[in-house]
Amino acid sequence: MEAPKTIEHQIGGIQNDALRFGLHGVKSDLVGAHPLESALESAKVTQEQINRKILGYTYGSAFPLKMDLERQILSRFQRPAGPIPSSMLGLEAMTGRLDDFGFEDYLNDPRESETFRPVDTHHAMEVRLGLSKGPVAPSFM
Amino acid sequence: MSQVAADVPKGGFSFDLCRRNDMLAKNGVQQPSYRKTGTTIVGLIFKDGVILGADTRATEGPIVCDKNCEKIHYMAPNIYCCGAGTAADTEAVTDMVSSQLQLHRYHTGRESRVVTALTLLKKHLFNYQGHVSAALVLGGVDVTGPHLHTIYPHGSTDTLPFATMGSGSLAAMAMFESKYKEGMTRDEGIKLVTEAICSGIFNDLGSGSNVDVCVITKGHKEYLRNHLVPTPRTYVSAEGYKFTKKTEVLFTKITPLTKKAEVIEGGDAMEE
Repeated sequence: MEAPKTIEHQIGGIQNDALRFGLHGVKSDLVGAHPLESALESAKVTQEQINRKILGYTYGSAFPLKMDLERQILSRFQRPAGPIPSSMLGLEAMTGRLDDFGFEDYLNDPRESETFRPVDTHHAMEVRLGLSKGPVAPSFM
Repeated sequence: MSQVAADVPKGGFSFDLCRRNDMLAKNGVQQPSYRKTGTTIVGLIFKDGVILGADTRATEGPIVCDKNCEKIHYMAPNIYCCGAGTAADTEAVTDMVSSQLQLHRYHTGRESRVVTALTLLKKHLFNYQGHVSAALVLGGVDVTGPHLHTIYPHGSTDTLPFATMGSGSLAAMAMFESKYKEGMTRDEGIKLVTEAICSGIFNDLGSGSNVDVCVITKGHKEYLRNHLVPTPRTYVSAEGYKFTKKTEVLFTKITPLTKKAEVIEGGDAMEE
């Protein structure tokens, strides 16, 4: 909590749905909307780093590297974008997320969002192959 | 490749409206404030296990909104948990952790330990930095014996022979500190827990109504819902209560609407 987390906004300029997202600014994109948001994100990253370190100490430094390779392979293994989202079973089994159950599994499910729109498969595949810009599912909140 | 995995959208906390609220607050809009919460929850370790106790009043600010709510939540067959703070938060957190414990039991095939539940709860609460306002008293009996813990909303924990939480914790702790002794029998324990909760009910405005007690011993538990009703309703109108006539049903003809099918482009790529 060293830097102030509130963002000074200039009134005027580009106002893109300002009521929902606040006034657009580079700083606000970097800092995040709420201190908790960045805290949750960094907690996840540190936990992963600690796990890597523990695995490295226990099984040798080649082990986490090999796991990284597997992670990359497994995270690519997905369904084509469409009505059924990828379950990422392999990835979850490897990271241990399969035995976990958190808020993200049952609260605020994006598919139950009121702004849900079916994914455009062609656009999604183009994004995945690096031909097009933007998120795969633009309407997800 | 990390952004590939991010294709699958995840739920969880939504921070969409934080910037808007920040901006509105800066422009002088009065933010709605938190409602005061009130509860008395206690727990103690006796000769063969753990006894948990709770009052049953739910408040929303100055209003009593439920006179007989449940504050002792199920975690595992051998673990229960009392919750104080925001009712929705205590319920969501205990439900979620009880699901995690169930998954863990499927995985290991053993009885859950109280420290497992404790670690899961404190990890979660610490991650959310106190924004999940749940103050808990966790009690259970596992292979290593009876355990009692208190968990604060920011994720700090205590391990104690007797514990209280909530706004009535001081009143309840007064009873415990004067009367608790080691190696109490089951009946003595239940009596002391009831006294502590009653002390909260009568001396703390945020607590009231009935006393719930949960006794957990090795391989056995007993949930005594409304164990004591110290403040029963004293007055009921002798001639009963009259309500205004309800809306009459004039006719029941149902007109079916015509079905309108809509084909959405791009949503059916999987079918061939």
